[in-house]
Amino acid sequence: MKTNALRINPTDNVVIALQALKKGDMVILENEKSFEMLEDIQAGHKIALENIALSEKVYRYGEPIVEATRIINRGEWVHVHNTRPIPGDMTA
Amino acid sequence: MEFKGYQRENSSYGIRNHVLVMCSVNCASGVVRAIERALPEIVPVINNYGCGSGGNDVTVMIRTLAGIANNPNVAAVLVIGLGCEGLGAERLANSIKEKPVECLLIQRDGGSAATTKKGIEVGRHFLSLARVQKRVPVPIAELVLGLECGGSDAFSGITANPAVGAAADLFIKEGATTILAETTEMIGTAHILKRRAATPGLGEQVEELVNNQEKRVRQALGERAGMVIAPGNIEGGLSSITEKSLGCIEKGGTTPINEIVGYAYQPSKHGLVIMDTPGYDIDSMAGLAAGGAHAILFTTGRGTPAGFPAVPVVKVCSNSTTFKNMPGDIDVNAGTIIDADKSIEQVGQEIYELTMRVANGELTCAEKNLSIPFNYLKQGPTF
Repeated sequence: MKTNALRINPTDNVVIALQALKKGDMVILENEKSFEMLEDIQAGHKIALENIALSEKVYRYGEPIVEATRIINRGEWVHVHNTRPIPGDMTA
Repeated sequence: MEFKGYQRENSSYGIRNHVLVMCSVNCASGVVRAIERALPEIVPVINNYGCGSGGNDVTVMIRTLAGIANNPNVAAVLVIGLGCEGLGAERLANSIKEKPVECLLIQRDGGSAATTKKGIEVGRHFLSLARVQKRVPVPIAELVLGLECGGSDAFSGITANPAVGAAADLFIKEGATTILAETTEMIGTAHILKRRAATPGLGEQVEELVNNQEKRVRQALGERAGMVIAPGNIEGGLSSITEKSLGCIEKGGTTPINEIVGYAYQPSKHGLVIMDTPGYDIDSMAGLAAGGAHAILFTTGRGTPAGFPAVPVVKVCSNSTTFKNMPGDIDVNAGTIIDADKSIEQVGQEIYELTMRVANGELTCAEKNLSIPFNYLKQGPTF
């Protein structure tokens, strides 16, 4: 089956939806087991590849980009509603 | 490997042969517009200020306007001033070197109608000089390419920016120069850029540059500073400036950072260089053009048609939806990496080859659309 999500770096815990997906759709990645979407998502947005704990960092390009503001389950949409920029990141 | 360019008196080479008509103050813009209507081939550059600005702003203004006039793509320049403005037209004209320059002043030369008439004569003469000039072979190492992103979405960092990075690496292999800019969009990646600097000293400089920008953004926006991304970026899936920045610096490619220059200054080194510009596209492109960029490789996710006066802008979009939704605005569709099985390297090669054709005269979409928004960095108050 054609992949519908993309992981950039092996240490990333989110993947990017390559197309809009609906709750119940299978997320298909190269070299990964597929899993189920727990909610609808727009193309280009992030899907949790693993469960993410409160305050745990979200990784993309192998670097932390935001931290979770609540528990996020595999298959959930990851964005500004359940994450925030990492406070330490903005300290020069 | 070479391209064919127009030789300038100072032995730089342009990929275009434009005649600029530039006003030193906005009060004089009516005359520029009138000359443009009579001679559509000229490139108008309208200075939105030129008076009522403080010292720092005037310094940046003159460096940027003179830098653009001195850009190798420019064959000749006509400066139109009023006569009483803070940024004197003659001061600007005297900063333009080693190419034909004329200066007219509306108050001295008989008002706008008479100045327009004289300006049309000068413009016609400059166009006739430019028209007969022939291109000559030039090594690729002479090329300076600005790098820019605007209207980024979550795909920008997966497709368009890495593809431009691959193209940048190809040009740098030939000895050319690429300029990575938009300091705001490096926030959150200071530690990565520090690692990539050619010397430890440069590493400290780049870290300081990005950290200072972080401080300024934080001062202006407080707690919300981490959300400094446009609404379109958030709708497109980007959750923080760090995420966006990581995607942005991908377009710089993989080679070491050889130099850091301030806004609108010309690099002295080849290879990958960083210029301190704001994230706002138009101001940033002005810095790149003043820095001597022959062309600008511009990635976009949501889509922007913006070009720039005298400097061809090559548009690379991150996804096929934007490419289909904005026909005639985008030169390369990097969305093929997602939906047509192309690799980043393949699209990078495509961008490289198109840029070479653009260097040799092929028009970009923005050039065909005559999209030439113009502005530059102004940070102080207006009086």
